[in-house]
Amino acid sequence: MASRITAEQVLNSLRAVEDPHLNRDIVSLGFVKDLEVSDRRVSFTLELCSPAYPVQEQMVATAKQVVKALGVSEVQVKLTLQVTSGRGPKSSLIPDVKNTIAVASGKGGVGKSTVAANLAVALQRAGAKVGLMDTDVYGPSVPILMGGSEQPRVVEGKIEPPVAYGVRMISMAYFLPKEEAVIWRGPMLHKTVQQFLGDVRWGELDYLLMDLPPGTGDIQLSLSQSIPLTGAVIVSTPQDLALTVASKAIAMFQKLKVPILGVVENMSYYVCPSCGHRDDIFGHGGAREASNKLGFPFLGEIPLDVGIRINSDAGKPVALDPSTLHGKAFEEVAGALGAQICIVNFQAEETISLE
Amino acid sequence: MATDSKPVPKNIRLAGGNDALAVQWSDGHSSAYPYRYLRDKCPCATCGGAGLPQQAPSPFPMLGVKPLKPESAELVGRYAVQIHWNDRHSSGIYSFDYLRQICPCSECAAKREQVANADRL
Repeated sequence: MASRITAEQVLNSLRAVEDPHLNRDIVSLGFVKDLEVSDRRVSFTLELCSPAYPVQEQMVATAKQVVKALGVSEVQVKLTLQVTSGRGPKSSLIPDVKNTIAVASGKGGVGKSTVAANLAVALQRAGAKVGLMDTDVYGPSVPILMGGSEQPRVVEGKIEPPVAYGVRMISMAYFLPKEEAVIWRGPMLHKTVQQFLGDVRWGELDYLLMDLPPGTGDIQLSLSQSIPLTGAVIVSTPQDLALTVASKAIAMFQKLKVPILGVVENMSYYVCPSCGHRDDIFGHGGAREASNKLGFPFLGEIPLDVGIRINSDAGKPVALDPSTLHGKAFEEVAGALGAQICIVNFQAEETISLE
Repeated sequence: MATDSKPVPKNIRLAGGNDALAVQWSDGHSSAYPYRYLRDKCPCATCGGAGLPQQAPSPFPMLGVKPLKPESAELVGRYAVQIHWNDRHSSGIYSFDYLRQICPCSECAAKREQVANADRL
């Protein structure tokens, strides 16, 4: 009969299990919690830093395998979620928001808002607390995409954001009649961004996604100056025209030292619903190529589909149903994004002391 | 990672001694910016980073001239620092890249000269 297995032995064996995204073992990452060893039974909790972690099943399987190899008959692994936040400076405007993600493109009409709304829904479904801020003051579209009839309310001098599908949202559309337009110059836009951040009761959030207007102008700059953004997601269609403009947005974020979390290729391809023929209307793979060339993570591709358009206009993001092709596509992009946020937060970040 | 790997400040001290702002950089370099120099290099739209003409003579010399110094500063996003000067000017957002570019130490000054000479050729 072999001697009793100790917790130390179990931890040592688990050091062989690596998180493929962070390239470090799960023990030194501090992911292993509540380890209990009794006789030939071992149980522990695996704390993941992102919901919908694309490799979680594989990690659990390997972990079980290495512990069993010690001669353990039963291994129980519980998965929990603890979304991390960066070690850099915290914003006093939104102290309880762990991560702020700008969804940008440079070019208009590539589906930023649709991608932002669906990523918000996908992350929420995976178990995270999510907010969605529509910073496109001129062409707000989040309330249409997300549906719901709830309106923001003012409670004790702060704005209580409406909630749809578990996602807290704010948008200029709530504050203006449909047929009216915002015709503003920079200082007003800056003030709105500040208000959307500081005067909205966001509460505790794992992710606050920000749908940006096209371009590299006042709002983008205000946002990047008002808070230390966790990073930016770049949305592009595969066509050269869109990619060229997207590279402007990338250049802007690099100047502002905002990490690029990755590139999403939207309207990636079209599958004819009646004959199944696939047509690469805007070309295909352009965004993947561009992100590889520039050294950014590629987060995934979203097909062009009439279903996405219909559901978007109806306020029912397709990410609500991951059993569909498009819902699944958004779920995968959300998982890849969550993993990239873990990586950015994990990488040693110099905190700047100012005295 | 996806950001460029240019040096960023680890530590910024407004009162860095000798009437200068001191910056410790992530690559180990240290910079000391005399207040007058830094104020003259203000990059805001009004000053234009071109440097103001030498300080205008005070119209009220009997009141004395307060020595220039930064009163406070705050970080701007992830890329810059905004300095509030005691002459009430505060719209200058000094990006880290810009600060590094204008480092007045002899080593950096020599490098700038080299680049300028190369451009002339």
